[in-house]
Amino acid sequence: MLKNYIKTAWRNLWKGRVFNLLNLVGLAVAIACCTLIFLTVFYEFTYDRFHTKLDNIYQIYTVSNRAEGAEVTSSVPEPLTPALKAEYPAVKYMTRSADAGALIKYGNKELDENLHFVDEDFLKMFTFPLIEGNKNNVLSGLNNVVITQATAKALFGEEPALNKTVLLNINNVQQPFIVSGILEDISRHSSIEFDLLVRFEHYPNYAANINAWENRTHIAMIEFNNGYDPASFTSQLTPFVKKHFAPSIEILKKDGAKPNEKGDIFWLDIAPFSNNHFATNLGGVEGNPVNKTYPVSLIVIGCFILIIACINFINLSVARGFTRSREVGVRKTLGASKGQLLIQFWIETIMVCLASMVVGLLLCMALINQFKAIFKSRISLSMLLDPVTLFGIIILFLLVTAIAGFYPALMMVRYKTVAVLKGNTASTKPGKLRNTLLVVQFSLSTLLIICTIITWQQINYLQNKPLGYNKTEVLSIPVSGGLIGEKALKLMRNELKNHAEVASVTGAYMNMGRGNDGSSRSSILGFNFGDKEIRTHIQRVDYDYLKTLDIKLLEGREFNPDFAGDSTAVIINETMARQLGTKNVLGSFVPMYDSVAKVQVVGIVKDYNFRSLHEDIAPLTLTMDKHYEINYIFVKVKPGNLVASYDAIKKSWNRQYPNTEFEGSWINENTERQYLNERRLSGIFVSGAVIAIVISCIGLLAISIMIVLQRTKEIGIRKVLGSSVGGIVLLLSMDFVKLVLLASVIAFPIAWWLMNNWLQSFAYRITIQWWVFALATLLAILLAFITISFQSVKAALANPVKSLRSE
Amino acid sequence: MIKITNLEKFYRTEEVETVALNKLNIEINRGEFVAIMGPSGCGKSTLLNILGLLDDPDGGSYLFNDIEVAQFNERKRADLRKHNIGFVFQSFNLIDELTVFENVELPLIYTGVSATERKERVEEVLSKMQIMHRRNHYPQQLSGGQQQRVAIARAVVNKPKLILADEPTGNLDSSNGNEVMELLTDLNEQGTTIIMVTHSEHDARYSHRIIRLLDGHTVVENIMM
Ligand SMILES: Nc1ncnc2c1ncn2[C@@H]1O[C@H](COP(=O)(O)OP(=O)(O)O)[C@@H](O)[C@H]1O
Ligand SMILES: [Mg+2]
Repeated sequence: MLKNYIKTAWRNLWKGRVFNLLNLVGLAVAIACCTLIFLTVFYEFTYDRFHTKLDNIYQIYTVSNRAEGAEVTSSVPEPLTPALKAEYPAVKYMTRSADAGALIKYGNKELDENLHFVDEDFLKMFTFPLIEGNKNNVLSGLNNVVITQATAKALFGEEPALNKTVLLNINNVQQPFIVSGILEDISRHSSIEFDLLVRFEHYPNYAANINAWENRTHIAMIEFNNGYDPASFTSQLTPFVKKHFAPSIEILKKDGAKPNEKGDIFWLDIAPFSNNHFATNLGGVEGNPVNKTYPVSLIVIGCFILIIACINFINLSVARGFTRSREVGVRKTLGASKGQLLIQFWIETIMVCLASMVVGLLLCMALINQFKAIFKSRISLSMLLDPVTLFGIIILFLLVTAIAGFYPALMMVRYKTVAVLKGNTASTKPGKLRNTLLVVQFSLSTLLIICTIITWQQINYLQNKPLGYNKTEVLSIPVSGGLIGEKALKLMRNELKNHAEVASVTGAYMNMGRGNDGSSRSSILGFNFGDKEIRTHIQRVDYDYLKTLDIKLLEGREFNPDFAGDSTAVIINETMARQLGTKNVLGSFVPMYDSVAKVQVVGIVKDYNFRSLHEDIAPLTLTMDKHYEINYIFVKVKPGNLVASYDAIKKSWNRQYPNTEFEGSWINENTERQYLNERRLSGIFVSGAVIAIVISCIGLLAISIMIVLQRTKEIGIRKVLGSSVGGIVLLLSMDFVKLVLLASVIAFPIAWWLMNNWLQSFAYRITIQWWVFALATLLAILLAFITISFQSVKAALANPVKSLRSE
Repeated sequence: MIKITNLEKFYRTEEVETVALNKLNIEINRGEFVAIMGPSGCGKSTLLNILGLLDDPDGGSYLFNDIEVAQFNERKRADLRKHNIGFVFQSFNLIDELTVFENVELPLIYTGVSATERKERVEEVLSKMQIMHRRNHYPQQLSGGQQQRVAIARAVVNKPKLILADEPTGNLDSSNGNEVMELLTDLNEQGTTIIMVTHSEHDARYSHRIIRLLDGHTVVENIMM
């Protein structure tokens, strides 16, 4: 019986091969895209799942209810962890964690590795399986180091590594450590990534900070007792906070912080570690959290594509069913039951779906490498064999065949036999449903086109907006890896003095944009001035800062070695001057650090965007205060040959520091890097829009074939009665153009709302212009029109005599 | 009005070449009512399509109102057609999606008549065809006779000088058929030239003259009294 069904189905499919092929292609493209998209999403959402106690692990963070809003910080002070462990029995394990680069040396082999400072509980909480070593005391010894298998291999080769002594260079101090354990290599699915683990006691300045509740230096994670409900933990911490954080609270109060509705100015809170991959407010564990917007917009676009493909499927099946109404009528008069017909049609659907699936997966295999490159995705097709994914695919498949196959089958079975045999199918025309579905398809497509244009405009705007400093000819070199900035700056200054192409050199605490070192830091200072609370960003600079970056000086002067007092002088920006508010800001003394030793304002600079354009220009104070390190060296070169200048500077660097990688980059590269997320989103939108349009147009093409077939007689009559070719093309296209127009109108408010919300995350943003909507609509109409004209022009040119020769 | 000389038409398919019209010579004068008869497949419809400028001949000459139209291109033919010729088909060929009124209105739209004048003229012709009360119905809701009356209304609404009818009574019973023939006779008496293909000797008797075709070639011409 089944064999018979399949045989009949195959014949029917072959008879309608043009439609079925279009159907198959559309669905296959959709399946390929959705597979890639959903794998990516699955990947993002399954971060850290390998920790067996994941649900019981939380990250602790602090909230300061500042005047300008609640400030969330994941950095905590050193004494917090021992105190919490001692005072709260619900805390089963707790570990501090901080990271740094470190050189590890064995024999004459030396490696630059990623080192984490943790407490002994770390390996009891997180599931990083030991290959060698004793699980119970692997970090008990103060001078133990735990290394990953890859590091062991790189350092020791085939030699056994356990209990070997290695030399670790932490913060320029070399110490011997004993390899006490070897861990399995860490899954790429992990938020916590390291090569080496040592006890937290080795963290720089550990001893100095051991009781410093006001110094936040690292993050900390808690594991609660089994069965403990952490919901009430935060409220239990109130007395703890009062006891230990009183001085911090006093400072906050002085800074103008206001109690929240519960009367708290400062409190501790916990966030599930399982969500840390998306915890952008906490900065993530390793500083690279993913904004949930991206996987979510991927899901949405994946669903869009799937919906559009299903709509195609339904429309095409219904349209084809319409031409098969006579067959259905004949079958019914011959005694076929509704059930049998339903099965017959459904089997055809399943066969097309299966074929699409195969083609789609092949397509997926062909495209996966490009996809990974474009979306920085780390997925692999082997993930498809994961039972969860496999289950998902089967469910999705059943869902698609059910939605896309069942409805058309039902439609066909419902045809009234007598009417159909008389050749009268007017009453069963799938017009309304088809039109509704087409409107949905094109609404989604237009929506994506609008999103594409607006994100593109915004990114363009961000990249081209003048920032108030020179970003094209200034090179920013991170000074990291144990180099001391002050010294490096001096060396490089001397080295570059003789270079003709170098215009000037300076150093600073904060970078401009995000450099190759990937880190971003900022320092904010609050103080009382008169009766006002002043808060300002602090940027430690060196001589020639304004000159190197072409920052415009409005009043006063730049720091100058000829003025002895400049080590305690400051230069401020306009916003800061406005905040201070006094008349003669220039030359005045400000109690920035304490009320006794005031600092003098020697210059005022024009406001420049020292942060990303997500944020407004904040008050800024430039200082030469040596308490802040130099982390970046800026070199301005003369315009002309930037590539050659870069190479020359790199060469000089390598002469000075043969063992340290040169990580310099032009500032405009750095500022562009601040908008990677935006570019990623825009990439998602573009691809989504293209795919949505392509699939929609495939559907439209098939429907237009169908329509033209249905209307050949009418077209013939109209031509006989005097209609022109253009008139016929217009007639056939007009119906669809109207639908696309309606679809656009539906898409407008949704697109506006979405994009307006998105733009709110930028302090500097474009205004959405009406022509974007017009352009998107025009594009959609044009594409629809072109698609339809393949058929309509052919139909309009055909000789009407043929179509009317029905006798 | 119409003069064809040595008119030829071939149909080529992969295997065979059919000679549909073979050096045909016919002349028809203004105001005539001519019936074309002949066995199935002898080329009657082909002839009518060429006379109606729907199709072009493969050879010979076709003078329409003393103008040579055999070599006319599609656009010129369409232009001439929509101002001069009306068609009536055996299977009515009404557009199912349009109402009676809209069907009749179509030719006027294509010749660019204004909306108010269209309404006037359509209503006038519908009244004359006694189908006015059905103006808002769809073709499916009408009987065959009514449908053919609508088709004739549509053919004459533009006041063509020539009406071509291909078996206009072929799908009708005899009483409806007679009604249609009366309508055509009336039109002819008001000055319209009519060329009608028919299988029915009865219907042919309404005409002035019968042209009998056999294999694309004229055989007999009977003059009716
Ligand atoms: N489009 C066509 N392609 C091939 N042959 C055709 C075509 N139209 C008509 N014929 C052939 O031309 C001949 C005349 O056809 P037609 O004019 O329709 O005859 P009639 O109307 O007298 O029955 C027939 O043999 C027919 O098969
Ligand atoms: Mg015929």
